[in-house]
Amino acid sequence: MIERVIMPDLGVTGSELTLVEWQAREGDFVAAGSPLFEVESDKGTHEVEAFQDGYLRKILAAEGTPVEIGSAVALMSETPDEPLDAEPLDATEADTATETPSHSLPTVGEVQRGATATEDLLVSGGTLSVEALRRMYERMVLIRRYEDHLYKLFLQGKVPGTLHQCQGQEGVAVGVCAGLRRDDVIFSTHRPVGHLLAKGASLEAITAEIWGKAAGCAGGKGGQMHLMDLSVGAMPSNAIVGANIPIATGSALGFKLSGSDRVAVSFFGDGASNAGAFHEGINLAAVKEAPVVFVCENNLYAASTHISLTSKVIDIAERAAAYGIPGVTVDGMDVIAVYHAAREAIERARSGGGPTLLEYKTYRYPGHSRGDPGNYRGDEELEAWRARDPIPKLGEQLVAEHGIQERELDDLGSRCQEQIEKAVEFAMQSPEPLPAACLGPIYAERERS
Amino acid sequence: MPSDASTETRAMSMAEALRDAMAIAMRKDPAVFLLGEDIGVSGGFGGGFTVTLGLSDEFGHDRVMDTPIAENAIVGAAVGAAVVGMRPVAEMQYGDFVFLAMDQVVNQAAKVHYMTDGAMRAPLVLRLPVGATMRGAQHGQSSEAWFLHTPGVKVVCPSNPYDAKGLLLASIRDDNPVVFLEHKLLYGGKGGRKEKSSLDPVMDVPCGDYEVPIGSVAVRRTGADLTILANMLMLHRALGAAEELSGHGIDAEVIDMRCLMPLDMATVGESVKKTKRALIVEEDNLTGGWGAELAARIGEALFQCLEHPVRRVAAPDTPLPCAPALEREYVPSVERIVDVAREMLKG
Repeated sequence: MIERVIMPDLGVTGSELTLVEWQAREGDFVAAGSPLFEVESDKGTHEVEAFQDGYLRKILAAEGTPVEIGSAVALMSETPDEPLDAEPLDATEADTATETPSHSLPTVGEVQRGATATEDLLVSGGTLSVEALRRMYERMVLIRRYEDHLYKLFLQGKVPGTLHQCQGQEGVAVGVCAGLRRDDVIFSTHRPVGHLLAKGASLEAITAEIWGKAAGCAGGKGGQMHLMDLSVGAMPSNAIVGANIPIATGSALGFKLSGSDRVAVSFFGDGASNAGAFHEGINLAAVKEAPVVFVCENNLYAASTHISLTSKVIDIAERAAAYGIPGVTVDGMDVIAVYHAAREAIERARSGGGPTLLEYKTYRYPGHSRGDPGNYRGDEELEAWRARDPIPKLGEQLVAEHGIQERELDDLGSRCQEQIEKAVEFAMQSPEPLPAACLGPIYAERERS
Repeated sequence: MPSDASTETRAMSMAEALRDAMAIAMRKDPAVFLLGEDIGVSGGFGGGFTVTLGLSDEFGHDRVMDTPIAENAIVGAAVGAAVVGMRPVAEMQYGDFVFLAMDQVVNQAAKVHYMTDGAMRAPLVLRLPVGATMRGAQHGQSSEAWFLHTPGVKVVCPSNPYDAKGLLLASIRDDNPVVFLEHKLLYGGKGGRKEKSSLDPVMDVPCGDYEVPIGSVAVRRTGADLTILANMLMLHRALGAAEELSGHGIDAEVIDMRCLMPLDMATVGESVKKTKRALIVEEDNLTGGWGAELAARIGEALFQCLEHPVRRVAAPDTPLPCAPALEREYVPSVERIVDVAREMLKG
C-alpha cells in the first residue's frame, strides 16, 4: 500500500513549515519511529519520525522548501517495489471529516459512550504478587503504546487538537494508582493519559474525547487536556497548572467531613510546585489533616524551562517540611518503588494521618506538547533517562525473577495494541457532536428539594 | 420548595437572616459546611461582619471551618468538596479578595458542569461582602459584573433580610456555583462592628425554612413614569429617590435586581414596556457593569417602546477613593438618581 507522508501540524504560527533536511533517501527502508526528515518552525528544529515501517519511495518536497501543513512531502510503501501509481491513501480523508452531521446521526444523549473500562489495577496488600506485577507491567505497556500510537497518528494528521504525552512517566501513574481503591479519586493534569489509564478509565471514551466526538468522556466539551472517567474515580483532568491541588484538598475534606475513608490524589509536575495554589492547597490540607496525597512528577522541565532556572530547591519533597507533613523523594522510573511509597502515603491518608508530598523523579521523553522538539535538552540526558525506562526494567524482572516467559510479555503487548487500535477505530468512526451541543449544559438542574 | 408550617416570624437584620439560613441548611443537610477566614474562631468575630457568629458553637469547627488566608485554596477546596457531593458555603472576608481566587471561580467552579458535559456539578456558594464603607479601593468594590461575564455561575445580591435568608437557602440548595453578594451597609452589625452610615434594614422574617427563587427580581414600588432598576444598597437609594420624585410629580417604579444571573427579563420587560423609561442604578464602575448588560438587553428587546434612551447612574471609572468626602461623591446618591430621572422626564 502506498501511503502519503505529510507535513505534520506542530502547533506553530503560520500554515507552512520549512523542510530542512531529509534523513533518508529514496529507496531506504525506514523503521517506525526513526527520523525521516527535519523541519524548522518558530519553536526550533524538529525531527519528524516515520509513523510506520516502510520504504521511502518518492520525495515530493525538496530540502529548503516551505511546505503547507497537511500536504504530502513523500510517498512510502510497505514493500520496496509496489508501483507508485497506486492510489495513495489520503491521510486526512474520512477521519477528520468536518461536515455537519446529518439528522440521521444519533444525538449526544443517544450515543453509547465508549464503555470498555480498563480493569481495576488495585493491588491489595503490601507485598506485590507476580500477578500484581504482571498487571502493572501490562498497564505501563498499554499507556506507552497508546501514547506512541497517538503520536504516529498525529504525524499523519489524524489527531485533531493538541497532545501532551507522558512516555517515560508511566511508572509513576501506574505505581500510584495501583495503591488506590476504585472509589478513591485522582485529579490529573494537561498530561492525563497515563493517570487516566492507570486508574482504569475507558480507553474508548477518552480516545473519542481526544478526537472530539460525541461519544467522548465529556462529549467533546473537554478535549485532550480534560479527560475523565467518574466510574473509576478519575476526576476531570485540569489544564491550569497547580489548580487541582486545592481542589483535591477540598475533595479530601469532603470525604473526611462525610465520614468516608476515601482518599484523593493530586498529580502535578515540578512546574506546579512554584504556583501559589501549591502552597495554599498543601498548607490547607496539612493543617486540616485532609486525606490527600500530593504526587509531584518531577520531570525536570516546566514546559521548556529547567527546574534549576525556577527553583533553588531541586528536591520538591523538601518543601513538605514547610507544611509540617512527610515528604519523600522516590525514583519514578522504578514502578515498584513508586508503589511502595504511594501505598504508605495512601494508607496514612486513609487512616487519618493527613497528607504526604511524594516527589517522583521522572522524565518525559517527548517534548512538552505536540509541537515541541525538546531542543532545550541534550541527547545524552534523554538517552540516560531512557536507559532507566520503567517498562523494560519491570519486564526483565518478571522474566528473571518470576518465571514469566518473554513471549508472554510480547503477547500482552500485542493485546494492548489491539485494544488501542480498537479504541482509535471506535473514536474515528464515532459521530461528531451536534453543533447545538455547544450551547449547554450551563446550569445543572436541581436534584434535591 | 421546602417551607415549614410554622408562621412564626422574628425581627432580623441581614446578618441575622443570613446566619439563620446557614444554620437551617446545616441542620437539615449534613453535606452543608462553611469555610473561610475567621468564621468560626471561638471568641472571634464570626467572619468580617459577624454573619457566622456563634455557628461554630452549634456545628463545631469541622463544619464551620476556619482557613488560612488563602483565597485560592478556600474556593478551590469548595470546588473539590462540591464535586464529591458536599455543599460548601465559602466566605471571602471582603468581596475584593475573590480576585485572588478567580482561577478557581472562573476556570474551575463555573466550567466544570459544561466541561464534563453535565456529568459533574459544583453546588457551592461564594459569599462576598461588597460595597463602599470608607475602607478604600481594596475593601469596598462591588464585583457583580465580573461574574455576569462568567457563564456557569449564578449571581445573587439581596437588599433585605427576607430575601437574604430565602435566597441564601435557595443558593445553598442550588446545584450550581452561586456568587452571593452582601452589602456591608445593609448587614446590621453588633456593637462595635456596626458600620458607619449603614442602613441596617431589620424586618420580620419567617423563623422557618423558605426559599426565594434564584433568577427572580422584585417590583418594590409601582409607578407609571419610569422604571428604576437597582440592587443592594442602591435599591434603597432608588426607593428614596422615588419618594422624592413623587414630590416633583414623577411616579417611579422601582425594581430590586436581587438576582442578576439568570436575569429575569420578563419582569424587567413588563415594567419598562409600561413606563417606557429605564434608569439603572449601580454602585459598581460604569463601564462594563451589569447595568451595561441590562441596558443592552432593554435596547435589543424594547427599543420600539422606549421614549427615552436607557440611562445609567453608576460609580465613575476609577478605583474607589477612601476619604469620606470623595466616597460620597463617588457612590451614586439619591440626588444623582433624582436629577437623572427628572432629566429623563423633561419635555
